[in-house]
Amino acid sequence: MPIGSSPKQRKRITSIVFYATIIIFLALLPQLGLPVYPMHTLIGVFIWIIVASSLRLLDLSGQGSIGHAAFMAIGAYTSGILAKFLGWSPWITMPIGVLATGVIAFLVAIPFTRVRGIYFTMVSLFFGIGVLAVNQVFSKFTGGYSGIGSIPMLFGYNKTPYYYFCLALLVICLSIIYRMEHSRIGLTWKAVAQSHAVASSIGINEAWQRILCLGVSCCIAGIAGVAYAHYYSLLTQETFSFNTSINVFVYMTVGGPRYFAGPILGTAALILIPEQLRSLREYVPFIFAGILLIVLFLMPQGLAGLPDQFRQRFARSPKVKSLPAEEGVSKRAP
Amino acid sequence: MLLDITSLTKNFGGLVAVNQFCMSVSEGQIVGLIGPNGAGKTTVFNLITGVIRPTSGKVEFDGKDVTGKRPHTLASYGIGRTFQLTPLFTEFTTLENVVASYYLHPRSSFWGAFFNTPTYRHNEAFALEQSLKILDLVGLSKVKDELARNLPHGYQKMLGIARALAVQPRLLMLDEPLGGMNMDEIAFTMDVMAKVRRQGMTILVIEHNMQILDLCDHVVAINFGQKIGEGTVEEVRNNPDVIKAYLGEQNVA
Repeated sequence: MPIGSSPKQRKRITSIVFYATIIIFLALLPQLGLPVYPMHTLIGVFIWIIVASSLRLLDLSGQGSIGHAAFMAIGAYTSGILAKFLGWSPWITMPIGVLATGVIAFLVAIPFTRVRGIYFTMVSLFFGIGVLAVNQVFSKFTGGYSGIGSIPMLFGYNKTPYYYFCLALLVICLSIIYRMEHSRIGLTWKAVAQSHAVASSIGINEAWQRILCLGVSCCIAGIAGVAYAHYYSLLTQETFSFNTSINVFVYMTVGGPRYFAGPILGTAALILIPEQLRSLREYVPFIFAGILLIVLFLMPQGLAGLPDQFRQRFARSPKVKSLPAEEGVSKRAP
Repeated sequence: MLLDITSLTKNFGGLVAVNQFCMSVSEGQIVGLIGPNGAGKTTVFNLITGVIRPTSGKVEFDGKDVTGKRPHTLASYGIGRTFQLTPLFTEFTTLENVVASYYLHPRSSFWGAFFNTPTYRHNEAFALEQSLKILDLVGLSKVKDELARNLPHGYQKMLGIARALAVQPRLLMLDEPLGGMNMDEIAFTMDVMAKVRRQGMTILVIEHNMQILDLCDHVVAINFGQKIGEGTVEEVRNNPDVIKAYLGEQNVA
């Protein structure tokens, strides 16, 4: 079959071209004289998009987590502590941080996958709180509440290299997620999310698939974590608190968890809009909540679902034709 | 014998759902498991397919002891099954349902799928082609792009069978395939079952609709978790215990 022949492939090519344009535009921004502060904001947006997208990857397999920042924290603290106290180069500690996140994610996934749905979400919350408690216990290394500062930075104080580094990480992580979602891996995870009984009846080891999904998702969150640690160079209790996990969850929900673009749009909107309203800083939580309510009531499919929502509303005929009775299974097979 | 069950027992607390149940299915047969509502038919099914573990007893499939194995393992041994309720991936289209069910044969590796290797692409093309064939067989080709949850009930049941066929089972286990169907749909489903059997598949079917008996080579009747009759269709039809279970006491005459 020649490439681009089926509507599905054409749609995929359109979206790849679309994303490529955006990436090229973002890559050119510093050359066009992007000021330092917006660049700093954008770096943050890149990091949080990685986290929100990894959360959505986990959501594909039907596991909603509200403790995802904890996995980010594991990566960030591992890499940060190793680099600061052992003096290792961040280039070595960062992969170790990601690996540590992955290993811990796999270990906790084994008991976690015994519960599904809302119970998994609750367990993820407790895990998030547990990681904060561990942070307190080992305050000699982690600094407890006050956190650890002066973590070795990657490129010094010029922000442009960080911008490109985080953009590259973003592109790599999103490509990985996109590829997984659009291959049999994603198909299997979506199947597990819809019905674990049916999934296991066709030979899918659904517990293992959910462990795998959690592991991959947390590795990606770990990547964001290590990038965070060596860019901001400061990690505090507050950075990866329960609030952060909820924020990431909100980014995903506002953007639309059913769409690949969802967490990207949601994160960008919910970081950039409050950023524009810095004069109203005290009111930012209210604005945040307001946006969330508006989205939940008016756009249940999120920002990324708006085109589909409009298409459905203004479609002349209902999208799904009901089948005439005589056309039912009643017709004998040919 | 393809499937051999010996003295299978399952207690739920004090309730004995299945008691010392024995049956066997030989290759190429259609075996019916009939019984009134609550007789324990679906429990027997779930015990065979590993959804629940038996209290005691033994299930042998193709000479292997498979008692208490997990459902996905049993699927890989070659047992395909349908469900009485929620038989589908509701958010997938009809075609996606079947394609997703091509998980075991051919089996693609994680990295193969991730890197889109030629083997993986070949496997996917094969799965797609076979899925279309199966949809043709069960008469769902014309609704292949509809979301499964939007399908009428009869179609959903057929899709359940299509999904089970995608496992390429040696034993196909159907849980009330005729449940809630009208006369035409029943005729069509039985047609499909006959066609599948001609392809050499063994079928174990649960039903309380007696029309299924026309297809069966061998029938086992169960009530209150106990076998009350077994044999050819004629034998079971005339078995006084079976008549009693279905029609009640005073009709035995």
